[in-house]
Amino acid sequence: MPYHKFKCSECIPEREKHAVVKGPGEDITSALPLGYLNTIPGSISERGCAYCGAKHVIGTPMKDVIHMSHGPVGCTYDTWQTKRYISDNDNFQLKYTYATDMKEKHIIFGAEKLLKQNIIEAFKAFPSIKRMTLYQTCASALIGDDINAIAAEVMEEMPEVDIFVCNSPGFGGPSQSGGHHKINIAWINQKVGNVEPKITSDYVINYVGEYNIQGDQEVMVDYFKKMGIQVLSTFTGNGSYDDLRSMHRAHLNVLECARSAEYICNELKVRYGTPRLDIDGFGFEPMSASLRKVGLFFGIEDRAQAIIDEETAKWKPELEWYKERLKGKKVCLWPGGSKLWHWAHVIHDEMGLEVVSVYTKFGHQGDMEKGISRCEEGTLAIDDPNELEGLEAMEMLKPDIIFTGKRPGEVAKKIRVPYLNAHAYHNGPWKGYEGWVRFARDIYNAIYSPIHQLSLVDISKEEIPTETKFLTQKMISDMNLSEEVTSSKDLREYTGKYDIISELRGKTYPDFPAQKKLSAV
Amino acid sequence: MEDMMKDRVEQLVDYIMKKCLWQFHSRSWDREKQNEGILTKTMQILCEEPVKKETPTDKCYWVDAVYLADAFKSRYSWMATLDKEEIKLLMQELKDRIDYLTIKGSLNAELTDPHY
Repeated sequence: MPYHKFKCSECIPEREKHAVVKGPGEDITSALPLGYLNTIPGSISERGCAYCGAKHVIGTPMKDVIHMSHGPVGCTYDTWQTKRYISDNDNFQLKYTYATDMKEKHIIFGAEKLLKQNIIEAFKAFPSIKRMTLYQTCASALIGDDINAIAAEVMEEMPEVDIFVCNSPGFGGPSQSGGHHKINIAWINQKVGNVEPKITSDYVINYVGEYNIQGDQEVMVDYFKKMGIQVLSTFTGNGSYDDLRSMHRAHLNVLECARSAEYICNELKVRYGTPRLDIDGFGFEPMSASLRKVGLFFGIEDRAQAIIDEETAKWKPELEWYKERLKGKKVCLWPGGSKLWHWAHVIHDEMGLEVVSVYTKFGHQGDMEKGISRCEEGTLAIDDPNELEGLEAMEMLKPDIIFTGKRPGEVAKKIRVPYLNAHAYHNGPWKGYEGWVRFARDIYNAIYSPIHQLSLVDISKEEIPTETKFLTQKMISDMNLSEEVTSSKDLREYTGKYDIISELRGKTYPDFPAQKKLSAV
Repeated sequence: MEDMMKDRVEQLVDYIMKKCLWQFHSRSWDREKQNEGILTKTMQILCEEPVKKETPTDKCYWVDAVYLADAFKSRYSWMATLDKEEIKLLMQELKDRIDYLTIKGSLNAELTDPHY
């Protein structure tokens, strides 16, 4: 096994099996790091906890819900807002965060009364909201508060409300991924099948593992609606609580982030026979393949093809403009889980970037199987890295940019490596055709920002050059390009608007009359 | 001849491992069903044989198979030179290799977890 030993982790020998280099002739049967194990003591992990994985990642993107944490206020505060999971109801779920504010005295005397009082207060404060998700935290789990019983009591007293209980305290898994798992299973056990939806189309899907980061879900739903497909629910970005209770009525589960949401798709297949179709919404070729497959499933491939043709013609020249300027740039692809395989091959194929390293904070070995298969030879793959390993890898690989979360991203900046936020994006959405061009533009802006002329100078070691003239972004990026490229009439920079999501919300769609008899509830 | 077959199988393997996701379901029994369902249907499409797609599950396999067969035909010009028997042999070798990479030779410790 081609393990990679970090110098900084020599004192933690168990770390060796968590990093591999994909050498010549290596495949996933010979190069695969360990994964989804408890972080080794002494290794300062960049992971989140199982409560965060359940609440922050999957629960809170639901838009018409009070998301209440039963625990200290810090738990809810630290899982609030940071991911830009927007929604079309004025971002209700982002504006507020709720906690029962447990203190030491509650640890001793119990906090069930406090919980009940908080639930009722929250519903009274927001009378238009009748749905709640309720999260266990380490503190309330350790003292054994029965939050299911309290939720049942409130629902009996207030029959108009519905409460979902998620027992995923912070210690309930090696990482946030443990929380993804728990909330998937809890949702299907408690809520799916409780509501009968109104079916309005012959073609009905659940769009699963999509969190509407800066509008990704709305871009994708726009495509599906153009094809005449009813998106019954989205699990969970911009998703509605009651729509998600009716997931059992879809004909197909279209799965985007398998890392966070494959569990519910697998269970829907076992319990209701709904098949699971894994798709990639990032990149022109994967996006086209995904739309075509969904179209094929329903026998409406022509509708998918019309979108593919229109969008490709419109946006490909802009993607190519950036590709010419990004070719050969080295990237460390260091996201949380699924983006390591969603992006590994397609940023290479469609933007010309060289992926020199992939890592995952909370991915499983299955994610590394996908990521390592998709990246090129020589790539360093790391599971659950610590901060020092990240620094050592950057010193060794000298990337031009890294795609990661904000914590390691800020560390990268300190050693003068630009970063893009792989979790919350910079100027998203990044899904769909136009979104993919926006991603390319963000990469271009990060790599060629004129500020590097100053910020990349280490004034503790180097003289500040006073003779050098200031160079604009384009002067730097076009320096070594041929005239054929720089004066090309076929290529152009991004021409889209700052906000491409708002206009989707008022859009009308072609009417495709249903052939079959539809249900009305 | 053997080398040529091996080389062709590796070209198809490379395409699947880079461009597809269906072979990476989370448990070994699902991977077995996925590999069997999709690669059998791909072979049937390439050999112009009838393909079952009456159930939702079969239809879902068929969708990935159609896409895969089209990709094979458009990317690998040598595919058009093969007769049906040769395609069947090639696809069996391909399935064996994908089964090895994703199931039998896989180092993924979660494949045998009895729960999702």
